[in-house]
Amino acid sequence: MFFVKTLEHRIPLHPSYFASDAQQHILAKLYADKEGSNTGTELIIAIIDVEDISEPKVVPGTGQAEYDVSYRAIVWRPFKGEVVDALVTNVVSTGFFADVGGMKVFVSKSMIPPQLKYTVDGSTPSFTDNAEQTVERNSQVRIRIKGIRSEIGAMFAIGSIREDYLGPLLQ
Amino acid sequence: MASFMNQEFPDEEEEDDFNPAQQDDSDNENDDAPDADDDDDNVPSKNARRGRDDRAGDERSSSKRAQDEDEGDDDDDEEEELEEEEEEEEEEEEEDDDDDDIEGQPSRKRRKKQRRNQFIDVEAEVDEEDEEEPEEDDDLPGEEMHPDDLQELPIGADRDDRKHRELDRQREAQLQVDAEEEAARLKERYGRQARASGATGAIVPQRLLLPGAEDPRIWRMKCRPGKEREIINALRNRTIQYAGSRDPVEIISAFERGGTNSPMAGNIYVEARQVADVEKALNGINHVFMGTRPFMVPMEEMPDLLKVRKTKHLEEGMYVRVRRGHYQGDLGCVDEVEANGTDIVVRLVPRLDYGLNEDSNAPTMDEILPNGQKRKRIKPITARPPPRLFNENDAKKKHAKYLQKGALTNNIWTYQGKEYVDGFLMEAFKISGLQIDDVNPTLEEVSRFQSGEDGAGNMDLQSLAATLKGSRGGDFLPGDKVELFRGEQRGVTGRSVQVYGDVVKIKVDNNHGALSGQTIEAPIKDLRKLFREGDHVKVIGGSKYTDEVGMVVKIKDDRVTILTDSNQQEITVFSRDLREAEDSGGATSDSKYALFDLVQLDASTVGCVIKVDRESLRVLDQTSNIRSLLPTNISNLIERRKNAVATDRDGNEMKVDDMIKEYSGEQKSGRVLHLHRNFVFAHDRESTENAGVWVSRNTNVITVAAKGGRANSTGVDLTKMNPAMKRTGAGAAGMAPPQQKGRDRLIGKTVKIRQGPNKGFIGIVKDATADIAKVELHAKNKIITVQKDMLSMIDANTGKVIEGGIQNLSLGRGGAPGKTPGYGGGSQTPARGFGSMPSGGRTPAYAMGGGRTPAWKQDAGGRTPGYASGGQTAYGGGGLGGSTSYGGGTSYGGATSYGGGSVWGGAGGQSTWNPNTAGGRTPAYASANSGSKTPAYGGLEAPTPGFNSAPTPGAYQDYQTPGDFRDAPTPGVRNSYQTPGGFPETPGPYSAETPGDFGPRYD
Repeated sequence: MFFVKTLEHRIPLHPSYFASDAQQHILAKLYADKEGSNTGTELIIAIIDVEDISEPKVVPGTGQAEYDVSYRAIVWRPFKGEVVDALVTNVVSTGFFADVGGMKVFVSKSMIPPQLKYTVDGSTPSFTDNAEQTVERNSQVRIRIKGIRSEIGAMFAIGSIREDYLGPLLQ
Repeated sequence: MASFMNQEFPDEEEEDDFNPAQQDDSDNENDDAPDADDDDDNVPSKNARRGRDDRAGDERSSSKRAQDEDEGDDDDDEEEELEEEEEEEEEEEEEDDDDDDIEGQPSRKRRKKQRRNQFIDVEAEVDEEDEEEPEEDDDLPGEEMHPDDLQELPIGADRDDRKHRELDRQREAQLQVDAEEEAARLKERYGRQARASGATGAIVPQRLLLPGAEDPRIWRMKCRPGKEREIINALRNRTIQYAGSRDPVEIISAFERGGTNSPMAGNIYVEARQVADVEKALNGINHVFMGTRPFMVPMEEMPDLLKVRKTKHLEEGMYVRVRRGHYQGDLGCVDEVEANGTDIVVRLVPRLDYGLNEDSNAPTMDEILPNGQKRKRIKPITARPPPRLFNENDAKKKHAKYLQKGALTNNIWTYQGKEYVDGFLMEAFKISGLQIDDVNPTLEEVSRFQSGEDGAGNMDLQSLAATLKGSRGGDFLPGDKVELFRGEQRGVTGRSVQVYGDVVKIKVDNNHGALSGQTIEAPIKDLRKLFREGDHVKVIGGSKYTDEVGMVVKIKDDRVTILTDSNQQEITVFSRDLREAEDSGGATSDSKYALFDLVQLDASTVGCVIKVDRESLRVLDQTSNIRSLLPTNISNLIERRKNAVATDRDGNEMKVDDMIKEYSGEQKSGRVLHLHRNFVFAHDRESTENAGVWVSRNTNVITVAAKGGRANSTGVDLTKMNPAMKRTGAGAAGMAPPQQKGRDRLIGKTVKIRQGPNKGFIGIVKDATADIAKVELHAKNKIITVQKDMLSMIDANTGKVIEGGIQNLSLGRGGAPGKTPGYGGGSQTPARGFGSMPSGGRTPAYAMGGGRTPAWKQDAGGRTPGYASGGQTAYGGGGLGGSTSYGGGTSYGGATSYGGGSVWGGAGGQSTWNPNTAGGRTPAYASANSGSKTPAYGGLEAPTPGFNSAPTPGAYQDYQTPGDFRDAPTPGVRNSYQTPGGFPETPGPYSAETPGDFGPRYD
């Protein structure tokens, strides 16, 4: 789910940048650091605006100055039970992996409808019912998130397509 | 032990009841009827019976012999009965042992009877027996009555008697055969009654059998744990050995409880009358700790000591482990339990190599030598083949001659004398060869027994449950989510609150109606842990996946499939082995090898660990091969040598943690992990292949950046821009005082020791290094080593301390008093300001380091850049010499050797980073200092091309080469340097610069 969220970030600045354009440095750094980053629970998609850049404070010992920047950003946070669209990245015999934004989702064979069978035709492994539904690499699927694991800077989830209206999207 | 007890028991009893002193080895004497009459009627008869029974046991072997001699138409049972009857007769009739052999024969019997008639007063005898008869009738069960009946008969009727007895025996036999049926029938008919009355019937004798005060006691002796059985056997041998001697072992029984892992290990128990008997019996037997006194077991604890632990009943389908042999430790499935309960046919996954590793020249296992003996097979030392189902095709390859097809069904084979059914080995074991308790089969082992394709699918859960029964204690912890899966409250879920014994208190979840929120108790056997798909769980035990963390993807009954975090594999474990995991994180391994460790595989091969699994390691060896190894295959770990140095393709130094790049091939880059011989193992964070590890030869990589440095290609290098960092960096290295070359000038000087134990001593320096000196003391003929800073130089003649003498010497200054270089400021005359020279007004030649040779000048001059103060003051600019120096430089016009001037540019460039400099960039400042500043020196614009060009290698090299220095300090140069002319404040000086050196850079 997407949110607009006010976040804070503390940026240290090297003394060599202490000049009138320090603010530009800070902003550039903020965008570079934060946009597209993953906090473990949420993904920062875009920074909308910067609300405030605090007065810098020199850190004793290093000479670097720290700026506290508060900014608004669009974040995406997955929830257990949420239905999301995903792009299949890899199909293995035990299930398939898909990407939902920056999050990797594994859909186990036990969470794939039984009529979708694992087949290796040619060199592309896929789950298919030999009719209209096929899950292979680069196909889009609709997934319900069953569980999320958070790590520092990464998220991982397992999902299910064993439900009505879930599974490969018709293109 | 049983026979041991039997052997001793009657003796003791009789000894006690009768007269111990007269104990005789002849059993026959003891139970004489007259004796029995004299004593209390009940007791002796009981004793007599016991004695007889025991003797019957003893003489069983002889009876066997008798049987051989006999016509042999009686079966064993009858024989024994007969034996007993014979005993009776023996005792009563006081016959010889010979009769044993002939008793069974009717004709002899007759003869015997007749013979007896000749010598014995039968009438009297009969009378006596008559008196006794009623009593025995009461006491003895039916079988013992036959002889008594016999006694009643007239003498001539003994033939009839024999027939009677035969009839009786037949009846008896029939009765025994039918006994079980009969029992079943009776139980069916009177079952209810039997239950009511049976209870008391069973209890009463139990209670009466409990030991009393007059019974023998049990003593406990300490012994070496694990040697209990050995001791008991030794004791038994001793008892047998001394049985007939004058000094028999007078203990009643001895036993031990449990094996080595039982709580009673290290103890043996001896039953005896007196403690002295125990000590005597055990004296001299190995492993018994005679130092400790025997401990008398309290009477109330004696029954407990002998309580028979119920051995686990083996059922078909249960899992066991093989204790020894080829399949030691392997899991087996009980296929058949023989009726005797000790022979068990076990189904095993065979470990066969089908002769593939066999030496074809080696003797086969059943080769028979000409002399008829089997040659002992020398067992080849090979690893045990992995467990794999039997495959007849493999067997046919080399061992077709050992392979036979089983009859009838198609998947039974006999191979090397063993039977394989459906790929499994069927092997019979004694129960002692199997481990029945603590089997703890893992799911993978169990799944091998499932012939299905993926094992876990069609697992025999019932059999597994049978094995796992009883091992469930402690599986539940407070806080676990649990579910009742049977019983009335089936389906109820909740969280365990408290676990005690086999009961778990559960706080029921909210969606269970009336029960919601209540705390109920449930037995452990009705509970299982509850997980939901997506739960993050950790394996806590019971399988090889211990400590693996993952997310639940599938739940079926109590089997949970989880996707591991570490390598995204699906594993199936029992829910009892799982716990909810709060933390993420991979499996913490107890392997002694960690990721990226360098390990020695064999004498010439090393490898870098790229994956640590629970049981195996993946290693990238020096030839870029990936190997999967067991930790045991690794000979040792190679310590990471942090200071190992190698040279790369360009001959540059390469150290651990340096960034390197492959010169050819894929041009992989990475950080050096290990340097070993001429191989470098590097780690690339970006790569996932082999965990980012790659290996190459030293000569095939180039160093991109040394540790701490950064690759040149990645944008602006702050370390270059930051004067603070630069000072310590490579650029500043030239600024440090160079090491003094040649002979230390302190040598030969007279010094005084200022500190330390030798304080006050005066001596002559004999040798010196940078910071220590060897001083030959004047007072003692001794050379001692002293820190230089603990010395002060004195005048050899006057003894006066020369202040700063040593420092000046080492700094290359003349022995003159070292005033701080004139920081007086711009107002000083240049000559004065030129520094530490005692007299600024000296001639240029003198100024050249006190008239020293150029070689000496190198000392001082070389240091000049470092001693910026010295140089700077020369131009009167407080700390801003850099800027002024240019003025100086220009003043020489075409002094070619003044390439050194660029050095000053470098220094000046640095100082532009100094905020002060920036502040002083105003014209006013410039004029205040030296006026020679040019706009090019403008503060923050310092990194102008002009600035940057200053530290170009060329400039540095010019400066650093001694040749430059030698050139630079020519008197003329120096001299003019110091002249006021050196401060031209007009722009002109710049145009006067030597174009080769400065022109391009300061454009």
